[in-house]
Amino acid sequence: MTGEANLWSRRLATDFRGALVVLAVTALAPLLVRDTYTLGILIVSMYFALLALGWNLLAGFTGQFSLAPAAFAMLGAYTPALLAYHLRAPLTLGLPAGIIGTAILGWLLGRVVLRLKGPYLALTTLSFAEIARMMIANSHEFTRGDQGLNVSAVTANRLGYYYLFLGLLALVVVLVFELMRSRVGRFWLAIRDDETGAESRGIDVVRYKTLAFALSCAICGAAGALYGTFSQLVSPELGLLLQTGLVIAMVVIGGIGTLTGPLFGALLVYLTSEWMRGVGNIQMIVFAALVILFARFFREGLWGFATRLRARGAAERVP
Amino acid sequence: MLQLDLFVNGLVFGLFYALMAVGLAMIFGVLKVVNFAHGEFYMIGAYTYVLVALKLGISPWLALPFAAAAGAALGWIVERTLMRPLYEGYGSWAIMKDEYAVVVTFGLSLLLINLVDKVVGPYPYRGPMLTETSRFALGPVMLNGQKLIAAGVSLALLVALAVFIKRSLWGRQIQAVAQNRFGASLAGIDATHTTSLIFSISGLLAALAGALLAPLINPSPDVGAFPAIKSYVIVVLGGMGSVWGAMIASLLLGVLESFFAVYVSYDYRDAFGLLILTLVLLLRPHGLLGERAREL
Repeated sequence: MTGEANLWSRRLATDFRGALVVLAVTALAPLLVRDTYTLGILIVSMYFALLALGWNLLAGFTGQFSLAPAAFAMLGAYTPALLAYHLRAPLTLGLPAGIIGTAILGWLLGRVVLRLKGPYLALTTLSFAEIARMMIANSHEFTRGDQGLNVSAVTANRLGYYYLFLGLLALVVVLVFELMRSRVGRFWLAIRDDETGAESRGIDVVRYKTLAFALSCAICGAAGALYGTFSQLVSPELGLLLQTGLVIAMVVIGGIGTLTGPLFGALLVYLTSEWMRGVGNIQMIVFAALVILFARFFREGLWGFATRLRARGAAERVP
Repeated sequence: MLQLDLFVNGLVFGLFYALMAVGLAMIFGVLKVVNFAHGEFYMIGAYTYVLVALKLGISPWLALPFAAAAGAALGWIVERTLMRPLYEGYGSWAIMKDEYAVVVTFGLSLLLINLVDKVVGPYPYRGPMLTETSRFALGPVMLNGQKLIAAGVSLALLVALAVFIKRSLWGRQIQAVAQNRFGASLAGIDATHTTSLIFSISGLLAALAGALLAPLINPSPDVGAFPAIKSYVIVVLGGMGSVWGAMIASLLLGVLESFFAVYVSYDYRDAFGLLILTLVLLLRPHGLLGERAREL
């Protein structure tokens, strides 16, 4: 690998181009598939891509391994639903409230777990996620418990939803790219690689860690809020640990700590899982096995592998 | 005397919790990782017990060793295939070391749940009882035969484990590796072998817990989730890595939960433990008997 090709800014730029290609392909997909069922599957896969990007911002770029992305999606979905159910608030109020609410909660969670690392952080975020889910599932008067709440749709048009999700996805990709290109991104990487070192160089670790938590949770919350209006029913199942497992699987298979990896991984994993549902319902077995294999032997993920091949090709051309 | 009933039943549950939690605590003590697939060891134990007893038609007592063997074998395989990188010193960690353990054990948990779901089926099984006695009253305390026997076996196992760790050569090796892996290997202890041993013991105990409780819980593939979460709470409460802390914390949690369910809220009884976990990690991260958990 040549020195220059290995520069972080170069890698990030390549990464961003890769993500744009994936987005462009997704944008053109409705030209080929028009039936509502397939469009629905693509929409759900974009929902997971949003969660994957949000979780990757926290786990892959900042090194804070949270187990709560699905819980934040659930909270983001419940905010507009509860506002509409109790106060008859319209979605124009409910959706922003969902995003801001999860951002604040994420910021608080970040403050609380500030000093925890590795397994301690994983356990605390896991218990936060499970408490949130149990509270929602058991507060029958307030949330109707397991029955879930109905939410009105933003638009009745399937294709409209498709581009709504795609727009949000593109927005998040550009946002994460711009952040990672700026000082903030460098600070996050520094915190991930060596927290004490970063602090000794004058990086305000508290501030940037909590910022990462707030942003990551807001992305998950936004995904959940929009998804709630799409499915028109929100239930505590959105926050199941299984969903978090799926998100982790997508990021690890695609390539953790990259931009294209989570995006591509989420679309690939979800679409294949829908396909495998037809051939004997083995999708979760396959993905769980793949996650273990990728983490064990193939840690860079698919995107990392692709860039390495490309870099090797470039190095061979320039002797 | 409702309180006495609650107290005794809480202690009984505490014994089951302890069977789960000590294995997790031992793994943490030696590798400093949390095994997120611990609940699936329990689930495998419960299924092995039920299926062996039903399909082979043998006495449920003879099915218990099968469950223990399955758990021990699973623990051994997991350590061999997945945990080795943690101490073989990988050069570059694209996923960091702690996170590697979270990802693989979480993945393993999903894999085992879905594998069992596919192979055995998603419907709960009814496990055969070790004894046919139904509920009976012992003074003010309501007990049932299965629970009493399971509690007795758990207690015996825990005492055996304590003696094993304190007195036997292997037990002392485990203590040494938990205190200082490098130092232990300098003293001629095969740390790798010891780690395999710990995973086997951990799997064995969790599987036996599942087998003993199988008639009460009716195992389904995701049955391990709650016992696993309980054992995280206990391991944190007792002090990460402390086996004695885990035993005390198990009994404590069992009793506290049983009172909480009656006096505060039955619906939220499972959230209560998680609340304890969060508070302990934030306020007293070294738990009751552990070393300091937060690093800075």
